[in-house]
Amino acid sequence: MKTVKIKKGWPFKKIAGKPSLRVESRPAKKHVAFLPDKLPFVKPRLLVAKGDKVKIGSVLFEDKKNTDFKFLSPGSGEIADITYGPRRVIEEIIIALDADESAESFKTYTASDIEKLDRNTAISEMMAGGMWSFVRQLPFRAIAEPDSKPNAIWVTMGSADPFQPSPGLYLKDQTGFFEFGIHVLRRLADTVNICWYEDRSAKNDSPAKADQTIAHQMATHRIRGKYPASDAGVVLFHTKKSAEENRDWYLDGQDVVLIGKFFKNGIFPIDRIVAFSDGSPENSCHIKTRTGIRLNDLAAHEIGISNPRWVVGGVFCGYTGSGKGFLGQHETSVMIIEESEESEFFGFARPGFKKLSNSRTVASAMLPGPLSIDADMHGEERPCVNCGYCANICPVDIMPQYTYKSIFADEVEEALGHGLLDCVECGLCSFVCPSKIELTDTLVEAKHLYLKELNQVA
Amino acid sequence: MLNQFEKILRRFFEKNSHRFEESGSLHKFRPLFEAMETIFFIPAIKTRRPPFVRDGIDLKRFMSIVLLALMPPMFFGIYNTGYQSLAAAGQAFNFFDVILSGLLTVMPLIIVSYAAGFFWEILFSIVRKHPISEGFLVTGLLFPLTLPPTVPLWQVAVGISFGVVIGKEVFGGTGRNIFNPALTARAFLFFAYPAKMSGDTVWVAVSNTASSAANAVTGATPLAMTTLGGSFDNLESMLQNAGYTLTRLFVGNYPGSVGATSALCCLIGALILIITGVASYRIIIGGVAGLLVTSFLFGLFSSSPLNPWMDVNPIYHLVAGGFAFGIVYMATDPVSAPGTTTSKWVYGFLIGMLTILIRVFNPAFPEGVMMAILFLNLFAPLFDFIEIRLRIGKRIPNV
Repeated sequence: MKTVKIKKGWPFKKIAGKPSLRVESRPAKKHVAFLPDKLPFVKPRLLVAKGDKVKIGSVLFEDKKNTDFKFLSPGSGEIADITYGPRRVIEEIIIALDADESAESFKTYTASDIEKLDRNTAISEMMAGGMWSFVRQLPFRAIAEPDSKPNAIWVTMGSADPFQPSPGLYLKDQTGFFEFGIHVLRRLADTVNICWYEDRSAKNDSPAKADQTIAHQMATHRIRGKYPASDAGVVLFHTKKSAEENRDWYLDGQDVVLIGKFFKNGIFPIDRIVAFSDGSPENSCHIKTRTGIRLNDLAAHEIGISNPRWVVGGVFCGYTGSGKGFLGQHETSVMIIEESEESEFFGFARPGFKKLSNSRTVASAMLPGPLSIDADMHGEERPCVNCGYCANICPVDIMPQYTYKSIFADEVEEALGHGLLDCVECGLCSFVCPSKIELTDTLVEAKHLYLKELNQVA
Repeated sequence: MLNQFEKILRRFFEKNSHRFEESGSLHKFRPLFEAMETIFFIPAIKTRRPPFVRDGIDLKRFMSIVLLALMPPMFFGIYNTGYQSLAAAGQAFNFFDVILSGLLTVMPLIIVSYAAGFFWEILFSIVRKHPISEGFLVTGLLFPLTLPPTVPLWQVAVGISFGVVIGKEVFGGTGRNIFNPALTARAFLFFAYPAKMSGDTVWVAVSNTASSAANAVTGATPLAMTTLGGSFDNLESMLQNAGYTLTRLFVGNYPGSVGATSALCCLIGALILIITGVASYRIIIGGVAGLLVTSFLFGLFSSSPLNPWMDVNPIYHLVAGGFAFGIVYMATDPVSAPGTTTSKWVYGFLIGMLTILIRVFNPAFPEGVMMAILFLNLFAPLFDFIEIRLRIGKRIPNV
């Protein structure tokens, strides 16, 4: 097993409300939903309409670019509503659940069937079974291109972001499915790298420890470092030897469990372990629930925050909404943070004992924490003064302060040379910027524009 | 008390904000209103794009740390200016007199610098419809601290105007200037009015005395001594005879620029800047190393009587004149310094080296650090360019 140490990044330890390893069960109350616009670069063509009856695993829509590529219903019942956003983007396909949920069935496989499975059949089974969208491709983080052959598939377990679910919990009693899923992935690429993020602080937590043995047996890489060290893009950046590896595929450990379940049991799996946090130590825990659940259903208690902002998928790279929104198909982290309304009196002159900061200009830098967080910019946008905070923290050695300037100057070649496509979209550069420049956003948009141009050429 | 003040201010800004809206009568002055409001209140702006949590630091806090680090040299400068002035006047005095006299000399410089500079800042902000940037708070204080206390106030106004307009705004404002605006302002005065700035006349603000009293003080600032003639067998002993011992130079209790005489205060400021991570320790340490190494090498190769400055103990170079102030507060200005790490070492080192070169070999400039920093400012983008090229070369391409 290789040990990969990543030096740069942000130690995630000072934020209050780290989810405990207690697992609670929360069923969906009335509705579940599928969120097509959270899938990267998919152009959906709806195959259902409002009022249609669906089962778990019924096809909801397909991708216009590749009609073999299906997306399946996370619930059984009636399509209650389909909501659209700007430019008729399909935001939510809402399903009103019925009492006895029925499910579509798919072909089941045994371990020996998998050995004989050829690559194309595996891919078409996964595409028809709604499993393909779990497999992503670097550097654009799009859903993997089935025709391309990656150098390796990276499976990441555990996260340097403590607000993501602990692998010890989603692997509990599921290791058989995990191994099965890995066998399926081995049909897709010659190399499957399994990365185990070694969380120093969780070493003594017993459930995590119990499954470390299994993970240790299977893992090929042990990852150490600060956020976002556990990201596949970061690991790849620090291990790659040639440019051919840039287009590798990756997926999360929990999704591998789902893929294993799909092939072994022949059902469309909808169960999820979600890390939930509202900033308080009592309520922050892991929740056993289902995909597409309404966010409000996840909170069994009164939320003690006056202006709650729900953040799904991690505060650094997820999406945000109200409690009426739904959990995306690939998200496993839900946080509730404060959205402050009041301006701060003499903010710049206060020592800042409660301010979260990566810099040492606030007094909290000397204190151990924990600190509560809020969805506030903590300042206004200003010109870049070249302080270099972003370059100091970037895990893949981009210098965002120069790269974003070259993007604004339309110097695409220059930006690519700086390593634009190595960007793992972790959000740290925007986080630390004292001038409050949306660096991550600029870089990600430039990546997407570049992908669009690549596709036009092809 | 503070709460009431906060409430009154809140009400004031809420009441008047409509005047500065699109339809309001004072809409043109919106940047000024905003600048005033945001000094008191950091507005609550919600995060819209990921990351949804942002760092507690903003540019105001960043710049106010620099202001905080400038406090020791400023207060010492006030004390020292008053002390030198009263000592020159030969009056009996106590601590209170010294501070009062210092304030009377230094505060007008600072006030004029801020007033004249803010006039241009506000004018450019209104024309460009930009918010007023906090960077000027630092420039406006740095500049008067580098001036001799005897400088006429109109020169302060002219100097800071040049620094803000030509040094910064013509390039596009904060973040886009090539040179450090405060040093640009000083360089302008230095070349436009050399009689007041070169340091070979008495730099003591003597108030309300007969001119003869000034004779009581030793002639010039330490670095200007060589230009005054006389024999230079050993500059160190000569400096010491003139009362410029190493300790005195370190503490800064001698006539000179308002805030730049005390290496001790600059050291305190440097510690504040380095510990908070606002200034680059690479530039400061690199600069000190460059200065010490170069002056040490000159010491090895000196043929004594020809050029007395070659022989001076490197520590003298470190504590004398404005080097400490320059390397801590001027060279570390992130906008005009390079942004890449190795370049920062090189940039700092070359500033130290060039300072010594100018001090030793160029008798026209008794102080070299200003020219050294401005010269290296010019090269900072080139250093960045080279280092970025090298870094790109090391990456595995990803296109």
